[in-house]
Amino acid sequence: MGANDAYIRRTILRLIVLGIFGLIACRVGYLQLIDRRYKSLAEGNVLRYEVQYAPRGEIVDRNGEFLVHSKECYDLMVTYRHIGKQGFDTLSLCNLVGISKEKLVRVLRDARSAPRKATLVANYVPKEVKVLLDEYNFPGFHTVYRTMREYPRKIGGNLLGYVGEVSKNDINRNPDEYRMGDYIGKSGVERAYESDLRGKDGVKILERDAHGAIKNSYMDGAFDSLPIPGKRLTCTIDARLQAFAEELMAGKVGAVVAIEPKTGEILVMASSPSYDPDELVGRNRGNNYMKMLGNKRKPLFNRAVSAKYPPGSTFKLVQGLIGLQEGVLTPDRAYPCHGGYHVGRISQKCHAHYSPLDLRNAVAHSCNAYFCYVFRDIIENRKYGSVKEGLDVWAEYVRSFGYGRKLDSDFIDEGSGYVPTRKLYDRNYNGSWNGLTVLSLSIGQGELGCTPLQMANLAATVANRGYYYIPHIVKAIEGRDSLDRRFYEKQYTKVDPKHFEPIAEGMWRGVNIPGGGTSNRAMIVGQDVCGKTGTAQNPHGRDHSTFLSFAPKDNPKIAISVYVEFGGFGATIALPIASLIEEMYLTDTIKRPELVEYVKNIPYNPRHYAE
Amino acid sequence: MPSRNKISLFEGVDRVAICCYFLLVLVGFVNIISASYNDEMEVLAFGQNYIKQIVWTAAAFCIGLFILLLDSRFYHMYAYYAYGAGILMLIAVLIFGKEVNGAKAWFEFGAVRIQPVEFAKIATALAVARLMSNYSFSIKKPSHLFHVGFIILLPLAIIILQNDTGSGVVLCSFIFVLYREGLNKWICIPLIMVATLFICSFLFTPMLLLLLLLFIFTLSNAMMIGEWKMHLTFVTSLCFLALLLYGLSLLFWQGALSGYACLVIATLTGVVVAGIYAVRKNIAAIFLTLALFIGSMVFVPTADMIFESILKPHQRERILSFLGIVSDPSGADYNVNQSKIAIGSGGLFGKGFMEGTQIKYNFVPEKHTDFIFCTVGEEWGFLGAMLVLGLLCTLILRLMQMGERQQEPFSRIYSYCVAAILLFHVLVNVGMTIGLMPVMGIPLPFLSYGGSSLVAFTILVFIAIRLDATPRKGLVSNI
Repeated sequence: MGANDAYIRRTILRLIVLGIFGLIACRVGYLQLIDRRYKSLAEGNVLRYEVQYAPRGEIVDRNGEFLVHSKECYDLMVTYRHIGKQGFDTLSLCNLVGISKEKLVRVLRDARSAPRKATLVANYVPKEVKVLLDEYNFPGFHTVYRTMREYPRKIGGNLLGYVGEVSKNDINRNPDEYRMGDYIGKSGVERAYESDLRGKDGVKILERDAHGAIKNSYMDGAFDSLPIPGKRLTCTIDARLQAFAEELMAGKVGAVVAIEPKTGEILVMASSPSYDPDELVGRNRGNNYMKMLGNKRKPLFNRAVSAKYPPGSTFKLVQGLIGLQEGVLTPDRAYPCHGGYHVGRISQKCHAHYSPLDLRNAVAHSCNAYFCYVFRDIIENRKYGSVKEGLDVWAEYVRSFGYGRKLDSDFIDEGSGYVPTRKLYDRNYNGSWNGLTVLSLSIGQGELGCTPLQMANLAATVANRGYYYIPHIVKAIEGRDSLDRRFYEKQYTKVDPKHFEPIAEGMWRGVNIPGGGTSNRAMIVGQDVCGKTGTAQNPHGRDHSTFLSFAPKDNPKIAISVYVEFGGFGATIALPIASLIEEMYLTDTIKRPELVEYVKNIPYNPRHYAE
Repeated sequence: MPSRNKISLFEGVDRVAICCYFLLVLVGFVNIISASYNDEMEVLAFGQNYIKQIVWTAAAFCIGLFILLLDSRFYHMYAYYAYGAGILMLIAVLIFGKEVNGAKAWFEFGAVRIQPVEFAKIATALAVARLMSNYSFSIKKPSHLFHVGFIILLPLAIIILQNDTGSGVVLCSFIFVLYREGLNKWICIPLIMVATLFICSFLFTPMLLLLLLLFIFTLSNAMMIGEWKMHLTFVTSLCFLALLLYGLSLLFWQGALSGYACLVIATLTGVVVAGIYAVRKNIAAIFLTLALFIGSMVFVPTADMIFESILKPHQRERILSFLGIVSDPSGADYNVNQSKIAIGSGGLFGKGFMEGTQIKYNFVPEKHTDFIFCTVGEEWGFLGAMLVLGLLCTLILRLMQMGERQQEPFSRIYSYCVAAILLFHVLVNVGMTIGLMPVMGIPLPFLSYGGSSLVAFTILVFIAIRLDATPRKGLVSNI
């Protein structure tokens, strides 16, 4: 081997050494400096983000009484790879938590497919059981602090709404805020004030070792955040009154809404049938929910804000007010009533009362004929050229009372009711119709539809003599000075406030002058109750019974509307219920126990809801 | 030149190599502390790995000093005895040894464990150096080459019997030395080819492999003798023949011949034609190509057999997962994946001493022994890794340079053996932690935790240093 050959071989070997080290250096450099994937993979290995669930805000009534509070409960989780070979006593776990063995087997099978991840075994595990679980210390199982809703008064199910796990849609709408397994308000106040009630979940970042065991707090907790509890909500509801209203409405189908006229705060909102809100909490929620869905009387339907009822005679108040504003009516104008309103083949019947009547007494006696005259005068007013134009003018007035549109309250599922315009009749009658065609509108029948909330709002508007505050359910939110501005603004109708006094006077007479009207039973001594009955015909069965009222006449404290489906005359059911609630609110006592008994025992079994 | 008057212990000792050695041991010690520190144990408990490592390091230093004290001729004299002792130890461990991780490769004396294979490497290096430095030795003679091969392969066979293939394969690195000493490159090339084919036989289907071989050999043949046009025609007509056969078999024999069979027939025809052509024109290069080609074709089917019969299931798994044929992040891939994550997450500067989360929380297996490089990579970052690699590279190149400046072939060959062993260890160990090599359980020299490996590498390197320190008798040559 020559020196030259040795030199070449030596050089080649050196190059091989350098090449190998160069290759290794490049690879190390690529891993450490160029491919950034490994950094996050390393964090994914080590860091565990543990959600610290924020307790949901509580809800109290206007007097500070709890309507909803949050009770601690726990989610039981299992991490499959920590169960260990020796296993655990499945039977005692099932018995303790109250789940079936099949369910546990199913959960464990799911958990096995993601052995490092915590899988939910059971939610709503009460505190007492959690303590026992800690004692048993089942390997691989741990509990996570959550809160569940509890309803000490068991009232206002539809009003408060319920809370449930977020759906896919909820997550898609708010992907940054919700994760699988979070709870969200599904209806009522819970949903409307979700962002206030929810609070903010915290996070704890932990370091774990290769076996998943927690070793340390990451960076000594520098990036952790504490959960911020949800805010406490003060409802405008008066819990005692609400409970009383629900008690009176029990067994009947309908709704009660009471408003404080000078603020627009909703004192009572009872939709009947109601349900025990606790039934929609916890593990039985699904079953109970399906049962309620199957109930023909639809307990989950919040009739108070969503139902669309014909207002019946209560609508005569609006009719009279529009007439006054339009100048086609004066308070002293009298119209005759011959058992009704008859033009050719068309007639609108009326009940027996003396004739002729002026506006105040027409309201008190609820004369149908009187308001037929008024309505026709409004829509057939020459200055509008045609009935069709006139009807649209009328409809605009009606809408200014909050009918036919959402009142913009804080209820998300608020209905808008319906006020017909010429469009509807042009379509239905091929354009050929006149004032007589739409005559039933004059007494709140026909195509009109209103929500009980809108009717209560009318009572409040009359009580205020011309304006209302947008009805709302929340009085105060913890940590906030005020509510939305719209709740503090007076909403005027298109009728001048000066025209309201005669109508209020008529409502007063109907109640307080013996034999002077339809609402005598609503009289509460010393309270100057004003009221208006309504009896709404409907194609499904007996008339609906409704009553509008406010009291006292001067400086009113409560305005109320009661609607009982298929309840008969307004004075039969709706009136006593409204009157009792007013009595309770204004005097704090019930001096007419016989009336309570009467309301509770009244025969009520509408064919429409027969099973 | 060192002064003859003051001959001391460190006279003529290569400072660069010594510095590299001490720095690597120091770096290794720091990383072993970090990798094996455990909150639950007392800092100074004897059970702690790094306390044990202190004892071993002290022992290694003493042995290193002792080696420097001995006369350099001693190693030449006792090389064969050392080899014999090494072989005896390997056989003894096969009979009396303790099985760890499936390999029967350990002696256990109380708390001390020794792996004889580490010392067998030194013995083999000494024996190889002794044999090849014989004045009458010529690497060109097949019988002499056979002798060397025997010396290398005997311990390798015993080590494979111990089920410790990974450590045994280290001995293959001696080919590095043989090449330096003038091994015919025509022996090196087939060896490399066999290794490549072995890997390819798992990566590709037989059909694709055959096609690849066909093109590569035709191409290399064309490069050797020119005549590109002819080669192109040759390949094209072979492919056409295969297609024709396939078409015919589909038409007349209901596809009795598979595409692969057609290609094989066409290829065999091509081999015959090429052979006749070579005979007629008497072109030796074509014969060589044909021989290699036929050899490869025979080798490919046997590769699978070798793979199945020699390697153990876990080794097969590692090789397959390394080649990307099977992927199982929580199984065979797990170690390499976690190791890459640990190194990759280190970034430029690393996470700092004892701050590596992947290391601290046991995501990386064997983090203080075979995967110690992960600790370096994660906690000291790219800079730390480069420092370690730079020290190792410097040491290896220095050893080679030390070998070159020797007058005695024994010293030169020994130095090269040491360099080759170190290089192989670094390549395989660091290579596996960064996914360049399949997982083989061999330590990273000087850094990995483990007494016998540290002591063995110390002996290995210090003998080379001692041989180099022998006062050079005035005939200094740098060739």
